[in-house]
Amino acid sequence: MNADLETFQKSNKTELERRGSVFNIGAPAIEAVTIRNQIVVGFGDGTVRFFQSGFEPKTVKAHEGVVLSMANYADDVLTGGDDGRFLKISSDGNIEEIFNFGSKWVDCVASHKDTKVCSSGKTVYVWTKNRDKPQTLDHQSTVAGLAFDNKGKRLAVSRYGGVTVWKLNNNKWTSSNYTWKGSHGTVTFSPDTKYIVTAMQENQIHGWRINDKADLAMRGYPSKIKSFTWVGDTPYLVTSGSSDAVCWPFDGKEGPMGRKPIVVANGGKELATFVKALNGEKAVFTGYTDGSVLLAEIDESKKPIMIRSSTGAEVSTIAISNDNSQILIGDMKGSILLSSLWADN
Amino acid sequence: MENTSQVPVTVLTGFLGAGKTTLLNRILTEQHGRKYAVIVNEFGEQGIDNDLVVDADEEVFEMNNGCICCTVRGDLIRILSGLMKRADKLDAIIVETTGLADPAPVAQTFFVDQDVADRTKLDAIVTVADAVHLSSQLVDHHEAEEQIAFADVILLNKIELVEDNDIVKVNDRIRKINPFAKIIKTTRCDAPLDEIVGLNAFSLDRVLDIEPDFLESDHDHEHDDDVTSLSFVSDTPLDMDKFQDWFGNLLRTKGQDILRSKGILNFKGEDERYVFQGVHMLMDASPMGPWPKGKDRSSRVVFIGRDLDNMNLKEGFENCKSA
Repeated sequence: MNADLETFQKSNKTELERRGSVFNIGAPAIEAVTIRNQIVVGFGDGTVRFFQSGFEPKTVKAHEGVVLSMANYADDVLTGGDDGRFLKISSDGNIEEIFNFGSKWVDCVASHKDTKVCSSGKTVYVWTKNRDKPQTLDHQSTVAGLAFDNKGKRLAVSRYGGVTVWKLNNNKWTSSNYTWKGSHGTVTFSPDTKYIVTAMQENQIHGWRINDKADLAMRGYPSKIKSFTWVGDTPYLVTSGSSDAVCWPFDGKEGPMGRKPIVVANGGKELATFVKALNGEKAVFTGYTDGSVLLAEIDESKKPIMIRSSTGAEVSTIAISNDNSQILIGDMKGSILLSSLWADN
Repeated sequence: MENTSQVPVTVLTGFLGAGKTTLLNRILTEQHGRKYAVIVNEFGEQGIDNDLVVDADEEVFEMNNGCICCTVRGDLIRILSGLMKRADKLDAIIVETTGLADPAPVAQTFFVDQDVADRTKLDAIVTVADAVHLSSQLVDHHEAEEQIAFADVILLNKIELVEDNDIVKVNDRIRKINPFAKIIKTTRCDAPLDEIVGLNAFSLDRVLDIEPDFLESDHDHEHDDDVTSLSFVSDTPLDMDKFQDWFGNLLRTKGQDILRSKGILNFKGEDERYVFQGVHMLMDASPMGPWPKGKDRSSRVVFIGRDLDNMNLKEGFENCKSA
């Protein structure tokens, strides 16, 4: 197989690099979320920066150490840090401390409409509308991932040994356990909410069909999967962790059971470290260990497009603005590319 | 093979009351001028001199990879990967384990998790031992024995409370379990910090420091489940295929009882020394440059573990000698 990446690596700047801006922040880019027309990035120096085309980024000193996790919350962002603080930050730089856990880290945050959620240690804390005090959901081991389904009815909590799915009925939480041996990290619901999928400590992802808890084991990766994204109407779950973007089909009754994934955007020697869907298209951005990014259709016969050339530091986040006009790419050395996706903009 | 961007990690073990907290307090309060992160269990102290204190709960996870004794510290994987996202660089990370902890999952974490192995390296396992109570703790508690067995450095603490001839006795008792650890005798853990942190003891080239004086095969002991050590030396070059077959099979089948293994090997037809170092079933091995001129090319291996007498180690090692 041709390495798609290698054929590009000798070329000069990409089109998006020519028309975009580069910012060198000097701290690893950890995570990015979008609010209104801004892309908000949390960094390894505790800052949260608001990026918008045509403006200098606005910097907010949010946490002492690392911004460990982020979520958007209407026009604000929620952040959790290794200083034990769970914060709500508005785009004008106003910081509201929702809770302070002291010397314990705030590992994960999530939100849905009026509900704010974070985890610290083995406990998930849920603030629903008009409530000052959080409800607490306890688990056997440290929480490693949080995800709401798209209706906000269920909250998936990943941990050692599987996932706990919580449901809120009449102000009372009930739980259901999805079990698979090993340690589970980032978690996601499929857009049709029929499946939950986790990235595991081992080099594999694991899924369950929600109604009957049938297992889906997706193995064969050369490294840990740090990122996945749902793409297109099928939909495909596209994952990092391999030299290709590995795309598992989740259509039909059985989803990917007994089927092979489609592989696109071959990075040659480089491994994919971050993947992000292009909204409304059957296409995915894939970032690699060397900092480069390709855009590929989920079609093995099509050639990918080079979006960002190598920077020498692994791609740690990619975000697309809500109006689909801007892309932001960040890496572990803190280099940020902000560019318009389309030539006319 | 050394990656300088890896942050060294010192693992601090020690039985209850041995003086681990005293040592932690020293690390946190001395003006050492370096930036350390100290991962503690319910410690509740703040560091001065720029130190970072991280609270952790020991969470031992089994890996779902088919290796039956492969347990790792899940909390450590999470915390180390969080620390590696920091903009400022740490000089070292110190991990405190609870008094009753088995050191194996901590050590195995550095072999098993690729992200941890890429960004950090196990520097040394340092065990604080109570010179007054160690002998009785060794009889009563497996954990105390394991902490001695796994150690690269042992602080034999509270020596001011023990008669000289008793220090010799406890020293000998430690040596029987662990022939290669460096023993430092201390009062209130008063060893210089640079003899504790930043040692590179887990580096493969430190395997070459095994001192032949400690390698004696006498091993009278009272119980079958005592931790003991055995070592073998051969001046006849070894056959590489035979050794790999024997050693691989040994770790696969007996790895649960072999706590630590280390060795320097002289293979027939090879100019370079081979060294290895293992924790239970997991091990690192690599060629380590040519043999020093004018020195004997002898192979040396050391095993620390339980039930070593029933593994036919001597016979197995002898059979690896080239014809």
